[in-house]
Amino acid sequence: MNIAQTENKNFRDAWLRFKKNRIAYYSYKMLIFLVVLALIAPFIATDMPWYCKYKGTHMFPAFSFANGCEVKDVQSGQTEKIQYDIADWKHLDAESIVFAPIPYAPSKTDYDNSDYVSPGGKQSFMTSNGKMVDMPGRFRHWLGTNKAGQDVLSGLINGTRVSLLIGFISMGIASLIGIFLGGLAGYFGNKKLHNSRGVCWSITLGIALGFYYGFFIRSYLLKDALAISNAELVKELIISLFIFTFILFLFYIVGKLLERISWMKKQVYIPVDSFVSRVIEILISMPLLILIISFSAIAKEKSLVNVMVIIGLTSWTSIARLTRAEFMRVATLDYIQSAQALGFKQRRIIFRHALPNAIAPALVAIAFGVASAILLESALSFLGVGVPADLVTWGSLLNSGREKFQAWWLVIFPGFAIFVTVTVYNLLGEGLRDALDPRLKE
Amino acid sequence: MLNYILKRFLIFIPTFIVITLLGFMISVNAPGDPVERMVSAAESGDAVNTQTRNQREQIQFWTHKLGLDLPVFYVSLSSLSQSDTLYKIYDKDEREALDRLVGKYGNWEEIQRYYQEINAFDNLQLIRPADSTIIHGPDRNKILDVVNAIKSETVLLKASYDDVVIRHAFEKINHLLQAYPLFSAAQMKFKIIGERYEHLFATATPWKNYVPKLNFYANNQYHRWLFGDGEFSKGLIKGDFGISYTSKEPVSNIILSKLGWTVFFSLLSVILAYFVSIPLGVRAAVNRGSHSEKISSLILFLLYSMPAFWLATLLLITFANPDVLHWFPASGVKPVTGYEEGAGFWNKVKASLPYIVLPAICYTYSSFAFLSRTIRVSMLEVLTQDYIRTAKAKGLSDKQIIWKHAFRNALFPIITMFGTVLPSVIGGSVILETIFTIPGMGSEAIEAIHNNDYPMIIAILTITSILTLIGFLIADILYAIVDPRISYK
Repeated sequence: MNIAQTENKNFRDAWLRFKKNRIAYYSYKMLIFLVVLALIAPFIATDMPWYCKYKGTHMFPAFSFANGCEVKDVQSGQTEKIQYDIADWKHLDAESIVFAPIPYAPSKTDYDNSDYVSPGGKQSFMTSNGKMVDMPGRFRHWLGTNKAGQDVLSGLINGTRVSLLIGFISMGIASLIGIFLGGLAGYFGNKKLHNSRGVCWSITLGIALGFYYGFFIRSYLLKDALAISNAELVKELIISLFIFTFILFLFYIVGKLLERISWMKKQVYIPVDSFVSRVIEILISMPLLILIISFSAIAKEKSLVNVMVIIGLTSWTSIARLTRAEFMRVATLDYIQSAQALGFKQRRIIFRHALPNAIAPALVAIAFGVASAILLESALSFLGVGVPADLVTWGSLLNSGREKFQAWWLVIFPGFAIFVTVTVYNLLGEGLRDALDPRLKE
Repeated sequence: MLNYILKRFLIFIPTFIVITLLGFMISVNAPGDPVERMVSAAESGDAVNTQTRNQREQIQFWTHKLGLDLPVFYVSLSSLSQSDTLYKIYDKDEREALDRLVGKYGNWEEIQRYYQEINAFDNLQLIRPADSTIIHGPDRNKILDVVNAIKSETVLLKASYDDVVIRHAFEKINHLLQAYPLFSAAQMKFKIIGERYEHLFATATPWKNYVPKLNFYANNQYHRWLFGDGEFSKGLIKGDFGISYTSKEPVSNIILSKLGWTVFFSLLSVILAYFVSIPLGVRAAVNRGSHSEKISSLILFLLYSMPAFWLATLLLITFANPDVLHWFPASGVKPVTGYEEGAGFWNKVKASLPYIVLPAICYTYSSFAFLSRTIRVSMLEVLTQDYIRTAKAKGLSDKQIIWKHAFRNALFPIITMFGTVLPSVIGGSVILETIFTIPGMGSEAIEAIHNNDYPMIIAILTITSILTLIGFLIADILYAIVDPRISYK
């Protein structure tokens, strides 16, 4: 049996063990449900109807890319323009209309039911002729409304999207950084990554000069590009990066040439491990929430992307720590040593042999990381920091319940949603750990 | 041992420096102009006319007082063409305009001369006392309008760097100057600016922009921030974090008055959490596999996943809600009317107790769930060791085995946990203090964010980080004391 097959078998074994763990498996299924819910949220909780026939015209507003259509009145010959996102569908005199299961958009307000209407309480509906009647069943706010009259259930369903997006993207960033740095630190340690004195010095100088010519001189160019558009900025950044890499490459060659002098040929060790460990220690000693709050204070505008990036940049430490430990372990194993003895390139050993085996513990850390990222985001929107005010998230819904203690539905439901999602990820991480930990394998 | 502790202290220093650097970096990049926040905007009327002499002096004063007339850091990278005194120009827009001009033409001396000429023109009194007869004539308002227009154009000119914009401004000012004969002297002066500009154009040395240069400054903003300047600031080392934008009071005074409650709740919760979780975790490990253990560990797990702010809000709407149960007050840490006059310590505690219960529960539960789980795991590991079996074979009682042999060795992770629990408790204080309106650092941080009070935000970040670092330090030293093997590694 060769290495690849063993690895495959290990993963299959782990999967089987994971499946046997009932709680973990259910949480895995729950996660899939949440992901599907997040994907279809804009279709099942929207005020745009799925289908509408109005004056003989068929419309599919919820599924349409266009935001409106023109309806021609056959009798009068006049055309009427209907804009999908602002049309008053509930009062439209349509021949037939099919609403989404939850016929409310998360951020839109129902003026007739504003000011905290409870789920079981009296909800009113204004008919087309201006009479207030009891809310018909299909338009009911099943989980009540908040002060502005926004539907809580719709907010919850659409909030799934925000929460999962935060989890995935921020942990995506964090795992890239964490696995890269942790892998470097674990594999190379302090004594394995070395190069000649000439190359090291030359490269250091190259980085400084590359930064100077690539970014420093061009700083106003980049600033102006940002003022024009993001695409322009990306274009200029690519040019800057190109200049930077080119200079670095140039200096690498110079360093190689310098090696002809014997004094320059002496090997210098790069203490990767100490460096990474110190960075991790510094990050750990900063209270994450306060760090994120400070960063978002200097961000020019509130945006979800900023929050994701900041969470990603600050919460990679546990991933890096676990990957580091695993790489350290793997690096001493026989098969890596034999791969080294066979003269394989470092890159190949790291990516083909060490990484697949070291990734399992990182996976566990990522699952827990997603849970804490979701928790962090909901805490931030609960505090109203960093996340745009008009975005309806679980945290912001929960926060709106703080203003009025009688509105229990604003506290119970969004909080429960956060709780369930966080628990699912924690259970998943737990299950993964049990399944992947070889010590438990009998 | 002493060696180890000393070494641990030495590691503390670079971490501390990096933390201060990070805080400083955030404060330098904070949007908005600190001087503008400080200079009272009370006398502002028209946008340009507020640039009165008095206000300019104020700006210069505050720039000096806040140390913004210093270079940012010990080292700076610049090009050969750039001036190493550019930071002395206190207006951000003007500074950027000059910097951009340097980037284009690469001859700082000429650009400086050009800038000085504009400044001289700006300071010129367009209407001399000798002209007072004209000023009292019928054209008075019109003339004043023109003077204002010229002033505002000059301010714009100072902040422009684009060739087209500058030439356009020249034309405009020239046109305005020609409107009345009494400006003839100013016109002459203005001509020099134009000449300077052309000269600058002719003597351009753009190649200088491509030669890097390193500058070193012994006295700079970071140094001043850290160590003070002996005049206005004592420096972070001595606990001076600058002046709050909102209250104009020293940040350290405000924080000192708020630190108490945060530290109180943090310590209280950590102590309570240890008290509850040690017996719980040990029991769970000992009764492994039993039904009650499974249930209790599930509950612990659920508690662990429960967001603190949800629990806090739930507690509030249940136990501090006049409609349900009104057992505890909803906010604050003491009666609204304050303590009774002359109340003793115990009376104060009694008055505050109802306010403390709910927050204390919320502060405690999350770290306690986390702690019990860790203690359980580490106890489980110890219980499988050979020496436990030996102890059993020796005929020791269960109690002796658990508390004397097993628990001692399970202590290590419990101690290291102290280092991890502390930052989460301090970080968590932001939310809980906001919910329960506790006058601590956390709620101060949120208030500072909403007011863009950057010195405050940075001070809180730095202080909490240092507190955490100290927590780590204590944990490490305790660790070495409990397990002497550590210090020999």
